[in-house]
Amino acid sequence: MKKYLTVFHTSWQNEFTYRLNFILWRVRNILRILLTYFLWNGVFLQNNNIIAGFTKPQMLTYVFLVLLVQSIVLSAPSGDSIGGEIGSGELSNYLVKPVGYLRYWFTRDLSSKLLNILFSAGELSILYLLLKPQVILPSNLITILLFILILTLSSLIYFFLEVSTRFVAFWMPEFTWGFTFLTLVFIETLSGMIFPLSLFPPFLLFMVHLTPFPYLIYYPISVFVGTISGISALAVVAAMLFWLVVLYKLSKFIWSRGIRVYASEGR
Amino acid sequence: MKKSLKIWWFYTANSFQQMAANRVAMVIFLFGKIFRIAMFFVFLNLVFFSAKSLGGYTPSQAILFYLIFNLIDTTGQLLFREVYRFRPLLVSGDLDLILVKPINPLVRVLLGGADLFDLVVFAALLVILLIYIPSNFIVTWPFFFGFLILFVGSLLISAALHIAILSFGILFISIDHLVMIYRDLTALMRIPADVYSAPLRFLLTFIIPLAVMFTLPAKALMGLITWPNIMLSLIISYFIFHISLIFWRWSLRFYGSASS
Repeated sequence: MKKYLTVFHTSWQNEFTYRLNFILWRVRNILRILLTYFLWNGVFLQNNNIIAGFTKPQMLTYVFLVLLVQSIVLSAPSGDSIGGEIGSGELSNYLVKPVGYLRYWFTRDLSSKLLNILFSAGELSILYLLLKPQVILPSNLITILLFILILTLSSLIYFFLEVSTRFVAFWMPEFTWGFTFLTLVFIETLSGMIFPLSLFPPFLLFMVHLTPFPYLIYYPISVFVGTISGISALAVVAAMLFWLVVLYKLSKFIWSRGIRVYASEGR
Repeated sequence: MKKSLKIWWFYTANSFQQMAANRVAMVIFLFGKIFRIAMFFVFLNLVFFSAKSLGGYTPSQAILFYLIFNLIDTTGQLLFREVYRFRPLLVSGDLDLILVKPINPLVRVLLGGADLFDLVVFAALLVILLIYIPSNFIVTWPFFFGFLILFVGSLLISAALHIAILSFGILFISIDHLVMIYRDLTALMRIPADVYSAPLRFLLTFIIPLAVMFTLPAKALMGLITWPNIMLSLIISYFIFHISLIFWRWSLRFYGSASS
């Protein structure tokens, strides 16, 4: 446990190494909120009516919450590194050390998430005061606890989804980014990042629910704003647990197969 | 110039051969690209289900803006993909190996890794445009030439912005997020700049000229922009490109050869 605390600490320090890059990361976080805000604001500017069943305040609130959830769930440096480390043979450096590769990267992700949460809290507070979205905060403790539980599950689902796709590098070291790109596209379009999934036609909505993507953004927001509660919320938790187990087993399976063909190329 | 073109051609041929070696990755990449474009059409469809216009444009015009956005964006990525691989060269100091060669280093770091996959997407978009435009718009030759001129201008601006990113990289070593900020900003241009509020429109036209880069070529194709404005846009584009070259040369003086 102590060694992972050291990894956590080192990773935390590492984030500040390139200061301009760090500042740009934070600027980008703010900018993404503003850009999505401007996009929807522009769409509503000349259409004061309801768009796709959503009023302007409702849609802007959704956008605000997407970026809040996104900054927690999708903040994970593991995604940028694992494929490259396998492809370049750097993985060997970890295999000879007494650390679990997945645990190492999960620790680094946690460090990044904590940093992101701390900075996002400040940034979102400022943007909240500037944009004044009509966010209805959860009124009871159960909803808050449920939201935290669902965010935790979302983060874990995202982690195992990411590593499963990056492990493709064992077989195709040069083209991990192809799978990475595809995963990013699915997350961008099917998780509710651009618009609420409830706007999809029924058949498309049904198909999306056969994937783990809606559980990354859409459902945490639904729980937060209270559109899902009680039994429905428990059903969502059950579905998330199902996906977590599936993706955990899948990542373990791919790792065990991949490590057999790993030849430490480039070392 | 002739030498640089020849070297660029060699780089491009090598890059294409390398990428063509993995057809599975190509299929996955193309599927991802097409899926993303299709999903934005779903978004436009949802908007037009309730709204009659977007910034005063009809649904078919909004679709043309989106297709032209994709065409310009894809061309930029096709040509300047190597910029996304610049950081490892800086962090490792391997840029030394490029600087000592008797070639223009900018050709290597800006144009040295043309993307075959984006070329396929580019071709697909051209086919879609060739089918879509005649059935929805009347495009005269002057409109088309206006579009071509502004398309060249867009590529000059795109090159300038990528050169600026490279220059910031030289100055500050790690600037991954700057590239992503550029990507985020360009995403705003999936819909015409006229949709946005006046201050943002001003920013996107005169400070970071993304509106000039993405919205004006589509407007030219529809005959919604005058010739003086087309020529002015081209001059501005060239001016921005020229400034970026000066910035690049200046930034090179501060290259520290980290880790080498």
